[in-house]
Amino acid sequence: MIFNIIFFSLLAIIILAAAIYAVVQKDLLYAVIATGVISLVLSIYFFIMQAPDVALTEAAIGIALTTIIFVITIRNTSRREDEIPVNKEPDREEETK
Amino acid sequence: MKRAFILLLLVVVGWVLADTFSQINFGESRMGDIKQQETVGAYYLNNTVEKLSVANVVTAIVVNYRGFDTLGEVTVLFLAASGLASILYRRKKRGEHDVMILKNSSQLLQTGAKLIFPAILVLGAYVFIHGHLTPGGGFQGGAIIASGFLLMFMAYKDYHVSHNVLTWVESVAGILFVSVGIWGLISGATFLENVLGTGTLNDLISGGVIPLIYIAVGFKVAAELTGVLETLLNFKTEK
Amino acid sequence: MEILKYIGSFFVLLGSIFLFLGALGIYRMPDVYNRLQAGTKSSTLGAMSMLLGIGFLQPDWMVKMIVIIIFIAVSNPLSSHALARGAYRAGLSLFQKEKIDAYEKDYKDMEDKEL
Repeated sequence: MIFNIIFFSLLAIIILAAAIYAVVQKDLLYAVIATGVISLVLSIYFFIMQAPDVALTEAAIGIALTTIIFVITIRNTSRREDEIPVNKEPDREEETK
Repeated sequence: MKRAFILLLLVVVGWVLADTFSQINFGESRMGDIKQQETVGAYYLNNTVEKLSVANVVTAIVVNYRGFDTLGEVTVLFLAASGLASILYRRKKRGEHDVMILKNSSQLLQTGAKLIFPAILVLGAYVFIHGHLTPGGGFQGGAIIASGFLLMFMAYKDYHVSHNVLTWVESVAGILFVSVGIWGLISGATFLENVLGTGTLNDLISGGVIPLIYIAVGFKVAAELTGVLETLLNFKTEK
Repeated sequence: MEILKYIGSFFVLLGSIFLFLGALGIYRMPDVYNRLQAGTKSSTLGAMSMLLGIGFLQPDWMVKMIVIIIFIAVSNPLSSHALARGAYRAGLSLFQKEKIDAYEKDYKDMEDKEL
């Protein structure tokens, strides 16, 4: 009983840490790997809760295909999050002057 | 100012969600007494083995009892793949060199990919043909086959799957799914009703039209995901 | 058939020890290439040994386990090789570059070739 609680909360902490890392990190390639880790631990979770169909689907699609599609998109746009130029609108104060 | 507003909105939405979810007792069995069939879940569990003789209850629910929702899901997949292809697909002229992968991989990876690729295809076909006996089914088998094609795309830079073949396979599989449903209408029952006889339990040919539908879905998903990957890999923006 | 159960349990225990040692190696090694070597070798052996032990404990599943073992033995070292090549070409530095870098001469010679 105590082993169940420790094991499940450890997996949940891994998912939470990977999700926060994926949001905060500026280098997008690392964030994509963190998303893959979330899918992997989620697939383990589904399997422990006795749902092998969902675990197989999540493993095949979330780990392999979603990661590779994101990597191709990052290759075509930009690698870091803060170097994309943003077209700023002119300020209202400058127009009325 | 905007950040404070967003934070306040998140707190309010999070409070409402937490309040709703804390009133559900997770882990409690909500199916009632299975022998007395008080809920829909109990009905499915009781009647799948006896009346349909299908060993995998999840497959029976997805294809037979809720088959119309599966048709909707296959339509959504088709819309996503065709939308992506309509924006990004470019017919390559002869001698055009702007592709994503510029060099072949090493000799080791080329040989290994050629060895493993047929095994992955057989595994994917096994998963969607035996969908009513083992865990798995059409979507899982299609995803496995698509990742096998991804391995070949990564190893060889000149590997192309013909766009015509993918289009034809996907269309024929979709037509097969709908025509199985219309066959149910012609035979006098409802749309997507199980009109073939159900065999014995744990046989490969059992469960009526369930293997036919899952084979069609397996081919369709495999062709769609392979088409998506090929479209993305042959698209390069001008920088 | 008591002897089969003992052999199976021994292989499962051996496999779990090697998997733990592999994880310890990934944690403690100083360099990307060392970590790849530790992870691949010991985790491949641990997984194969554990599957062999399960095959002894349930003799009906032995043929499936052998097929999975062959697949792991083919694909795991291939993926580690691809990772190491990618890491070297991306420019990740070695831990002791002055002593051993056997790939450097070949890498400079073959800039345009397809290997």
